[in-house]
Order: sequence, then structure tokens, then C-alpha cells
Amino acid sequence: MHYLTINKEEWDKTIEQLLLSYSIFAAASNEFGIDYELVNGANIARIAYNRAKPVTSLKSFFLPVKENVTSGQLLEKRRIIIGVPNCDVCGLKLLDEIYLDKDFDDIYYRERRENTLLISVDCFEKQLHCHCTSYDVLPWAVADADLAAIQIDNQIVLRVISEKGQEFINQLSLVEVLSDETIISEIDKKHLLAESLLLSDNKDLPGYKQTGGLVNKAGKEVWMKYSSHCVSCGACATICPTCSCFLLIDKPGFEKIKQMDACQYPGFERVAGGEDALYELAGRFRNRYMCKYVWKPEKFSSPACTGCGRCIEACIGKISKNELLIEIAK
Amino acid sequence: MLKQENIYKPIKAKLTEVIDESPLIKTFILIPEEEFAFGTGQFIELSVDGIGEAPFTPSSSPHVTEKLEVTVMKTGYVTEYMHNLKPGVFMGIRGPYGRGYPVEKFFGKEVIILGGGCGLAPIRSLLYALEHVKDNLQKVILCYGSKTPSDCIYKPLFSRLNKIEKFEAYRTVDKADSEWDGPVGVATTLLNKININLKNSVAVVCGPPIMMKFGTLKFLEMGYTDDQIYLSMEKNMSCGLGKCGHCMMGEFFVCKDGPVFTYNEIKNTPDIWK
Repeated sequence: MHYLTINKEEWDKTIEQLLLSYSIFAAASNEFGIDYELVNGANIARIAYNRAKPVTSLKSFFLPVKENVTSGQLLEKRRIIIGVPNCDVCGLKLLDEIYLDKDFDDIYYRERRENTLLISVDCFEKQLHCHCTSYDVLPWAVADADLAAIQIDNQIVLRVISEKGQEFINQLSLVEVLSDETIISEIDKKHLLAESLLLSDNKDLPGYKQTGGLVNKAGKEVWMKYSSHCVSCGACATICPTCSCFLLIDKPGFEKIKQMDACQYPGFERVAGGEDALYELAGRFRNRYMCKYVWKPEKFSSPACTGCGRCIEACIGKISKNELLIEIAK
Repeated sequence: MLKQENIYKPIKAKLTEVIDESPLIKTFILIPEEEFAFGTGQFIELSVDGIGEAPFTPSSSPHVTEKLEVTVMKTGYVTEYMHNLKPGVFMGIRGPYGRGYPVEKFFGKEVIILGGGCGLAPIRSLLYALEHVKDNLQKVILCYGSKTPSDCIYKPLFSRLNKIEKFEAYRTVDKADSEWDGPVGVATTLLNKININLKNSVAVVCGPPIMMKFGTLKFLEMGYTDDQIYLSMEKNMSCGLGKCGHCMMGEFFVCKDGPVFTYNEIKNTPDIWK
């Protein structure tokens, strides 16, 4: 892993030129905050560097809400996604384990993964509910993305993470090796600041492994209390970077439509005879916690919660997962 | 189109015959357009074009590959459409999926099978598979219960099984009618009447959830150990690929880790009888 640098103006021009051969999406600042936008000449200046996560999680680029999985189309162009926070990069690892498993490889998911270059950003700030460090996820990527782009004054500093990232850089002119050690130490300092802010703001939150035991043991009263504000809208699962359940819907011609689904919707586990293991709201609510902290960790090596906090932001019932976890840790 | 194998794409199979088994149960005989083989106890996703698909364990022999039999109880949206299908139409098949019965692990042993209702469908496939290897088995006993005599499926199967060396088959009904002169009571009551060598046998349970539960408890009471009991679990598998999440039972994807589990594997998992 090493650092390169390019003048910000040149970098913006480079992005504009890359639009000829790539579809580029980027986390951009808008009047509501930060979210992914399809990059065009007009919004390059609004690309958000050094900022915390975009509203939407990265998974929607790889698992569309709805897609035809029997006669679906390939990507028209290769893609670049700029502005991916490390919580989402880590979330993608679990999706890879599920969708690219050795027995059943999802060709549509694979095609999108292989043809997408991930340029992550380093979070030099934290949003209210960010808690990645509690789950051993750093607010900057050192693996699994291809590059990281950091803005320092009028330069874009690029950290090369993967071989694919290096190959991409090789085709760019005007990128130089970063020789100014003070910039690297400034970046390191910002990393540590963000990390310590995240740790201190979440000091009462139990760690990922510990959470599994706590969730497993938590009594029904906890689930009843916190689910009393749940309206089963599924926003928590929809916005989650690792929730990836879906339903297959049949269309004439033996076509299959794969539509994202969520265990928070009533009837998710109902079988034809009418039995439904998740019929009760509190049980359904608990299921998502069990899945994230108890069951997925038994089956997969990547974390099923990367601490992005989006489920808390998205909840219209104002249910705070972290408040719940802190309560059961007491 | 993509070149690699598409895991979501079904193969077509022609429906050649529909057999009425009971008022609510029919068997569909299908000829797949492409080569199709399965292991006994594995399941397939069977679809009605444009309507939907549902998981079923084939009821035919895994050693017969040119055709496939699937026994379907009318119990929901997709199965109601299936029951209206006439021979000649094409259905979709994906699979086979999951882990079926480990027949080779039964070698040298007695196999005691407890079945109820439509649970006889996967069991029939298992019986064909066991018949194929009967020289390697001590004996095979089937204890089957249906609600009424007319709800019993594959009636000729019982007399046929009783003619096969090493095989015994018993039937009971919850509620008799005027013509029934056999035992009356739930399926587990048949287990009181059979001779088994407990140490050298395995138990297989397949039926509605209530029977799975009480069947398992009965075998445990009889002295079977947790890993001598094989259960075929039923969940709403949508993808069959260990991805969609609908069949999750604790940490297990029933579609991929199951549907056949030993009781030992899942006894600590919540809600297994739901």
C-alpha cells in the first residue's frame, strides 16, 4: 500500500475524461447531505472527500431492488464508484461470501463486482450514529477497496489498496508518487482523530462478538419494548449494507425477478400451510438482531453489522439499535 | 446472454400425467428437457409458468432419471394452480438442492421411518432408494399415519412393500370410516408395535410439523440418541441457493444445510417445530 498524489483540478478533469469509458458514481454533497449520484460534468465539484458515509449503502449498486435474473442485461460500461466508506467496503465482504459462494455463484452479482472499481474515502469525521470502530471496522479502508481518495488542500492523495487499483492508476497521467512525508503524517493524524472520536462516542457499546452473546440471552421484555415502535416497514434492512434477503417472483416464459425482501415484513417466513415462525412482531424484530450478531457470525467470516448506523437513521419509529444493545449490556 | 451457468434459470419439464392420490393431493409426472438427477431427500423448486414456484422433494426413485414424480398437496397459491394443470404443459424445475438422506450411512442398519400425510412423498423416494440397496440393510420399517383412510396416498405402495424382503409397512388413521379395519390412532402409536434393534437402527421422520415434533419425542423416549434421528425440515425456500434468507432456521439455511438434518444438529435451534 502506497500513496500517490494529483492536483485536485487535474483529478477532476481526469474524472471527466474517464466518463467516456466508465459509468461513474460518486458520493456527492447536496442540500440534504451526502448521497451517491451518477457523475456528469456538472457535479464533479460536489464529490465529497474526507466526509462520513453517504445516505444510501453501497449494496444497491450490486443488489438492485428489482432485477430480472433469467434474461437480465450486463452492465453497459465498466463502473467506478467514488466515495465508498469503509463500513460499506466491509459490508460488501459478507455479500461476496453469500453471492459468490463456491456452490452457487450469482453471475449478475459477479459481473457487477468484477466490472466495478471501488474508490473509497477516509472518514475524517463521524456522523451521529456511526459506530464502525466498535465492530473492528476502521473509518478508512486498507483492504477490499481498490483505491482511497483523500483531499488535502488542493491535492487528491490516492492510497493504492489493490492490484486492480494499481492497474487503474497506471493508465492515468499526472499522478505522482507522494514524497511529502508531512502529508502522510497529517492523514495518519486525521485517522487517529476520527478513530478516537468514534471510540469515545461509543464507549458504552459492546463489541461485535460480545453483542452476539447479549442478544442471544436478552429476554422477551427487551424485544417487546423496542419493537413497540416498529411498524415493520423494513427500512432498517433496506438501507443496511449487509441485509441481502430477496424473493424470486415468476413472470411468463419462466422468467425470474429477484426482488429485495426483508425479514421485518410480515409473512417473510410463512409457509404454504400457514405456519409462520416470525408471525409476532417482537419475534420478527428480534430475528434481525439474531441474524446480524448470532447466526451470520456462525456461518460467515465477515461481520454482518459494520457499524454504519443507517438502521438507526432510517427508523421512522426512532428505534435505536445502539440504545437497545447498551441496555442489554448493562 | 451470459455464458456461465445461471443459478436462477429453471429447466423445462413436460407434464405427462397427473395422478389423483387423495382429495387434496396429486402426483405430477414430469419429463425434464435436460438431463436431471437428484439424491433422495433433496428438493427441487417446481414452477408454474408466470405464477410462482415452490419447493418439493421428488417422490420418485433417484435411480430413475428419465422422469420425475412430484407429489403436491393443495395448500397455497402455487399449489392450487398446479392442481389445475393438465398433461401437456411445461413446468419449470430448478435444483436439485440441499442435503438429502445419507443412505450410505444407513448401511448395516435397520431404518425405521415415521411418516404422516403428504410426508410420504419424500419417504416414497427414500423407500425406492433403500430398496435399491436392500442387500446392505438389516430391515426397513415404515409406520405411516393419515387423517382418514381416503387421505392416505400411494395405497398400493403398502402391499408392495410388504412383499419385499426385509421391508415392513404399517398404516394407521386418525379417524376411521366404515370400510377401515386397521389401527386407529396417530402415527407414533404404530411404533409401539414394531420390533427393533435400538442400538443398530436409525429413525427417519417426515410429516407435518406437529408429527415431526411428537415423532422425534417418541423416538427419544424409545431410547434413540439425537444423532440417530433424521428429520426432513420444511421451510419456505424461495431461492434454494442459501441466499434469499426465507428458510433460515437459526444459523442454518434449510435449503442448503438441510432439508435433512439429524436432530442432534438442530436440537438447540429455536422454533424448529414451527
